[in-house]
Amino acid sequence: MRQLLGKEIRLALHPTNLIFLSLSALLLVPDYPYYVVFFYTTLGLFFVCLTGRENHDIEYGLMLPVQKRSLVRGRVAFSVLIELAQLLLAVPFAILRGAISPAPNAVGIEANVAFFGFSLLLMGLYNLAFFPRYYRNPSRVGRAYLWGSVVFSLVMIVLELLTHVQPFFRDRLDTPDPLYLGAKLAVLGLGAAAYLLLTWIAYRVSARRFETLDL
Amino acid sequence: MEVLSVQGLCKRYATFALSEVGFAVRQGEIMGFIGRNGAGKTTTLKSLLNIVHPDAGVIRFFGLSFAEHEMEIKRRIGFVSGGMDQYMRKRLSTITSVTRSFYPSWDDDAYRGYLRRFALDERKTPNQLSAGMRIKYSLSLALSHRAELLILDEPTSGLDPVSRDELLDIFLALAREGVSILFSTHITGDLDRCADGITYIREGRIFSSEPLETFVGKYRALALTEDQLTDRVRDMAIGLKPAKHGYTAVALAGDAQALGLPSNKADLETIMVHVEKEGQA
Repeated sequence: MRQLLGKEIRLALHPTNLIFLSLSALLLVPDYPYYVVFFYTTLGLFFVCLTGRENHDIEYGLMLPVQKRSLVRGRVAFSVLIELAQLLLAVPFAILRGAISPAPNAVGIEANVAFFGFSLLLMGLYNLAFFPRYYRNPSRVGRAYLWGSVVFSLVMIVLELLTHVQPFFRDRLDTPDPLYLGAKLAVLGLGAAAYLLLTWIAYRVSARRFETLDL
Repeated sequence: MEVLSVQGLCKRYATFALSEVGFAVRQGEIMGFIGRNGAGKTTTLKSLLNIVHPDAGVIRFFGLSFAEHEMEIKRRIGFVSGGMDQYMRKRLSTITSVTRSFYPSWDDDAYRGYLRRFALDERKTPNQLSAGMRIKYSLSLALSHRAELLILDEPTSGLDPVSRDELLDIFLALAREGVSILFSTHITGDLDRCADGITYIREGRIFSSEPLETFVGKYRALALTEDQLTDRVRDMAIGLKPAKHGYTAVALAGDAQALGLPSNKADLETIMVHVEKEGQA
């Protein structure tokens, strides 16, 4: 795994991954749909796969002494690394946002603990939507991303709408920390569990599809 | 000792099929894998490494089943498909560093030696290298993990004659060192110069797999005039076709002798062109 991650970081990493990581700072914007930060994460991962196609990344990987499914494992692990880095980088900005601008976010959910739980859910859903389609036919990476981004966007819109119309979301989850911290921590825990489960399923399905794919 | 043996390899697509493909490569042998475009060369080579999944067949490297010893086998072989066109904007040093990490047997002294031998500058990127230099870089990577068998798909395509000649010299030197080479090409002149054996695939089936001299020794090249085109000649000639002055064909050596016409030693290209022509008739 160390070698596969090294390959991803030294060869596959796209410059936009680092630029988009810095967009965790968007949590400082007073009124903003904060989930968009993680939409940029998925966009950066799409660029990795897109430039991978142009750079013949899979052909390079096939020359190495690894199984085909290991190439999938490396790419999914790299994606998890980027996604979690985005999330961890966002934490200090969320804390800073609360400290310097306590006014509520008029656009969407507050940058609070529940927000991170839902973000994990969103990224897990994206992984499940994108990777199995991508590894069904890596040359059609655009279609896979279209599907992944549609799923991400729709769920994101639903989550944001809930903070406006659904009482539990509006009155408990869409509040500054540490209000209702118990409920928010539960969302974070469930989001983390969903992320792990969805990403694991995404890997298993992708690896099976890629293993049987004639390249 | 056989470093690669293939038996009964089959793969069926909607419009094309590999049927009962079989051949072997011995240690230190250069095996040319020839066939016209679309004959099944690349599909066969990819099937060897499970990049394409065969429907049937037994493939053994170094006497080992690929399915059961994939990692060990992949560490002992080098596979180069086409030119080195991966990560064209990354420095060679970066690509090497990543590649090296996958091979416990990596020999850095050997790698440095190949860089010097091929005059490769690690600070360059593949897109700053000529096609020939990129192939040499690919070979450096393969040989630095002490590959015992090189599987090369069209390594000389797109190279100028001088670069091709250099590459063939390298192949001959490697074979003398005990490295086996299986390389596909439709530039048959390259094989006349360096191959020990020929495996010729036509429409997904092995037409011939034997020592080069045996294969070319079976045929004679005929240059015929209109007056020489009797029915008997037409029957025995393979791939009879018009040429600038008269007609050309090949014939089995015994037939050519029986016809009593002047004939010449046939080279691979002449044989392949006329055999393929005959197949179209």
